[in-house]
Amino acid sequence: MTNEDVQITDTTGVDRRGLFRLGGLTAAALALAACADNTVAGTVGRVGEGGTVPTLEDPIVNDGVMLRTMAGIFTSIANAYSHILDGGFLAKPSTTLPDLGDQTELVTLFQAHHTAAAETFNALAVEAGAEAWTCGNTRLDSASINPIFKRVEDGAPATDNSKAIGPSDDPTRDYINLVHSLESMSASSCQAMVPVLSEAAMRFTSMQIGVRSARQAALIALRIFPGGYVASIGESTTPEDVATTTIQAADGAAPPPTAIPLPVALPARYGLLSPTTFIGGAGDENGVRLKVNFETPSLNAFAYPFSSCP
Amino acid sequence: MEIEVTESGAIAELSDGGQHLGRRAVVRVGAGVGLGGAALSLLPFLAGHAAASATTEPAGTEAATTTAPPQRPSSEDVTLLGFAQQVEATAVALYNEALKVEGWSDQQAVVVTFIRDAHLAYAQSLSGLLGRDAPNSISQNLFGANKSAFSGAVDEVLAAAEALESTAVATHGDVISKLVGTDAASLIASIQMNEARYCTVLADLAGETDPTVLLVDEEAAFLVGEG
Repeated sequence: MTNEDVQITDTTGVDRRGLFRLGGLTAAALALAACADNTVAGTVGRVGEGGTVPTLEDPIVNDGVMLRTMAGIFTSIANAYSHILDGGFLAKPSTTLPDLGDQTELVTLFQAHHTAAAETFNALAVEAGAEAWTCGNTRLDSASINPIFKRVEDGAPATDNSKAIGPSDDPTRDYINLVHSLESMSASSCQAMVPVLSEAAMRFTSMQIGVRSARQAALIALRIFPGGYVASIGESTTPEDVATTTIQAADGAAPPPTAIPLPVALPARYGLLSPTTFIGGAGDENGVRLKVNFETPSLNAFAYPFSSCP
Repeated sequence: MEIEVTESGAIAELSDGGQHLGRRAVVRVGAGVGLGGAALSLLPFLAGHAAASATTEPAGTEAATTTAPPQRPSSEDVTLLGFAQQVEATAVALYNEALKVEGWSDQQAVVVTFIRDAHLAYAQSLSGLLGRDAPNSISQNLFGANKSAFSGAVDEVLAAAEALESTAVATHGDVISKLVGTDAASLIASIQMNEARYCTVLADLAGETDPTVLLVDEEAAFLVGEG
């Protein structure tokens, strides 16, 4: 059989299939005619009463915005450390990191750095013609830090499609890892300011602060993982039971929780601008722990001129 | 301690009066002059364009505006970046001396090699940024002043390396405070950030436990401007 054979149809009579075709063609023709009928676009009518469309304020991004954003980030970090220190979490022993020891004194030292840095950034912001930002960065607090506190200390309630998650199995481990994440993020943020600030003196000050944060990140990484200088060393010298927190599940048992990688003092050859991932809290019914990426400030985290502390 | 100013590529060939000036050197000099002339002539235009594009607020508003800095290094930047590259190249040479020392543990050797390789990467990055203006040479003064410390016992080498890294951090900070172009400032910032970590790592590797030492509360003096 060839294609020509298939295409031969009997057109002499009108059968049921032919009627369907005619009906379809008629409907399509009517639809086209209806579209072509009205060519004048009218204004969409309003139903009920409503306010006028608000005019959004201009999202200006300049030195002042950058600097007060940084002041907010460093205040958020200092506030986070206050929460951790006030709760006494770092003084408690960690089951995952038995050799960690009490890091309260060290984190108190870090906190002083962040408080002083926030004041420095605010002073620069005022010099640049902006208002000082005296509270934490609202985006960082609401999207990253507060959810971590809630998950670690309270867990998560059950929902329609998931079971409740309990508080963290090791808050000390989670909070010391949070300290490392925040130190890494603050160093990255200071570095990220260099190409966007217009004055060399501002870049210098930002890097002065960032350099200290980088050292604090390296030091806390070494406290969490002694001897973990670079990744290749960690892989070869870390005992199996310390390398991760993964637990092998027995048959029928709950799945093992997400592994928490140990930090190293030198994660790369250059200063990183990539997100720092925090993993912590208890695992959910599938063993999945909370993951939060700490990123350098961007458009949704800036303290714009029209923004104010809550 | 001082860094000698090394004349950049093509100019260095010209100043070496005893040598024959080859055709390639003439081409390089010509190209360098051409680029310099072009940069000078375009600078007012580029500066005006950048200012106009960054100032978006209409006249009369009180919002502060920021004039975008240039991306490419200025001629003054090139000199500063040449200093920075010499520091990095000298660090590579010093760590090469250090790795000849016997007595390193496996862990110490891995870390020191990592740091040496990183400094080599920094020197190469700066070479890429500077192009033919890169000195691509070490500072003989800096090398000579530190060679014996980098050739001693392991503890002595670690202390010397920590001091060198702290000096490099201070030097790069000083360079950042003077750089105009943001491409170069970004690169130096990423280098400085890791060199700061090296100080802490080297102190920890040497067995130091005092946070004020590990966090380098007292940064070493910088090198730039002392030559």
